[in-house]
Amino acid sequence: MKPYLNNRFIEGLRLCLAASLLMIPFVAQAEEPISQTGIAIVVHKDTEADDVSMAELRNIFLANKQFWPNRSRIILLVRAPESDERDYVLNTIYQMDEDSFRKYWIAKMFRAEVPRGPKIVFSSDMTTDLVVAIPGSISFMRADQVSDAVKVLRVDGKLPSDEGYPLK
Amino acid sequence: MNNRIIATIFLFVLLLLVSARKATAQNYDEILSSASSGPEFMVMGFGDISYVSRDGTDQDGFVIGQAVGHLAASLGHSLNVFAEVSATGKDSEYVFEVERLIAKYEFSDLLKLSAGRYHTPMGYWNSAFHHGAWLQTTTSRPEMVKFGSKLLPIHFVGVLLEGNLHSNKLGLSYSAGFGNGRHANIARAGDAGDINGDKAWMVQLQMAPDGLYGLKAGLGFYSDEVSPTDRPDIKESTVSGFLAWTRESPEIIVEFLHSSHEYLFDSSVSGDVNAWYAQFAYRLKDDLSAWKPYARYEDTDVDDSDPLLFDQGLDYQAGILGVRWDFNPYAALKAEYRSEEYDNGGRENNFRLQLSFVLSKL
Repeated sequence: MKPYLNNRFIEGLRLCLAASLLMIPFVAQAEEPISQTGIAIVVHKDTEADDVSMAELRNIFLANKQFWPNRSRIILLVRAPESDERDYVLNTIYQMDEDSFRKYWIAKMFRAEVPRGPKIVFSSDMTTDLVVAIPGSISFMRADQVSDAVKVLRVDGKLPSDEGYPLK
Repeated sequence: MNNRIIATIFLFVLLLLVSARKATAQNYDEILSSASSGPEFMVMGFGDISYVSRDGTDQDGFVIGQAVGHLAASLGHSLNVFAEVSATGKDSEYVFEVERLIAKYEFSDLLKLSAGRYHTPMGYWNSAFHHGAWLQTTTSRPEMVKFGSKLLPIHFVGVLLEGNLHSNKLGLSYSAGFGNGRHANIARAGDAGDINGDKAWMVQLQMAPDGLYGLKAGLGFYSDEVSPTDRPDIKESTVSGFLAWTRESPEIIVEFLHSSHEYLFDSSVSGDVNAWYAQFAYRLKDDLSAWKPYARYEDTDVDDSDPLLFDQGLDYQAGILGVRWDFNPYAALKAEYRSEEYDNGGRENNFRLQLSFVLSKL
């Protein structure tokens, strides 16, 4: 290899390396299946509730229940389409596919039962940030991505790490 | 590849990532802003276009159904306003109407108080599908709850108290209304006030049991004094009930109503109306999940002695078969065959093809 080519090659390699290092935070990490980690139901830290039944959780996610026991409004945050977390929640809690889910919310608004659909979030980080920022908010994320900044609700008395947790 | 090209690609990728993060940040700010107490608006629309072919008539052709606009506004944490406006094609014009206008204050899940113009919360269909042809499986409403029906007051103007009792496993909810009764034209609500001073009232109880997700059942009662233009005042009492399995495979809706009418000055002149329908639909699975065959049977029987409705020609029987094709997430095509008999006047067969759609950001 000629010296000038060698220099160019090394220079290019350095740039690629620098680019790769900068890209690391954006590159998705290999994840365990949700069936192993479970989906955690997360709420704002000040939310009075600690434990919900699966039926109660379904009613919250269906917006049939719109207030916490202290009468503050429940703000529902749902992951955008094409995320594993959303697919899992649609299957287990809503028991609907994407089309039925969309139709459900359109009908709900059209019946004047809610003024808006759920708020859409695009990542676990965004979910955490918004749950921390919005009192009364509730959302879901992979249990292995939950931070201390939010509160994890027990579902039917169980946490995601417990045997028999219903969202795992 | 030289360093310039590598650097250009790198900068391009970085720009894409930065713009993606900026878009997410914008969304973040929007959500934060909307979760505060500021006003938030949502606009939707529905529409349908049909082709109808009937036996023994040359009036076959295209029919523009209703074009419906819906505005929902959250004006603060507990005050919401809903408005629904329709444009309906008639022979030589379009008729515009404020179908619903509701201002609702929500104290809690148990107590929501509203005032305005509603679809009377009696039975299932009238408060489940409203004017959205796309929402309902079939091309049209059942005859007993069709728009302009004289059987059930489709609209109601007044105040409504409603709430959910979700602390119980039955999933009980209630609605109770008080307001203007029917207009002298009994197919219309008393939009400009109650014409006889005797207000209408209604109450309906519903349940959606936790253990049977998808099942809804309800029982309601409606009472009014009606003052038609061409006869004395009539006491009206209506009981309605329904059972609905709202999952799509299958979808089952059964609804009935029983009305009693009697002259206020002579209760011996009285009569009853019985009306019901049963609808069955089934969304197919897997590759055929866009298809949903359906069938419905309807029956309405008005006593000859009924002082309010005996001469309105409301006896009706119909059998309906059809299939719905959801070819797009926001639009459906329905093909429907109907065999109908009005007031014992002989059967009429017709075929309808309907395109219905929703305009929504969801």
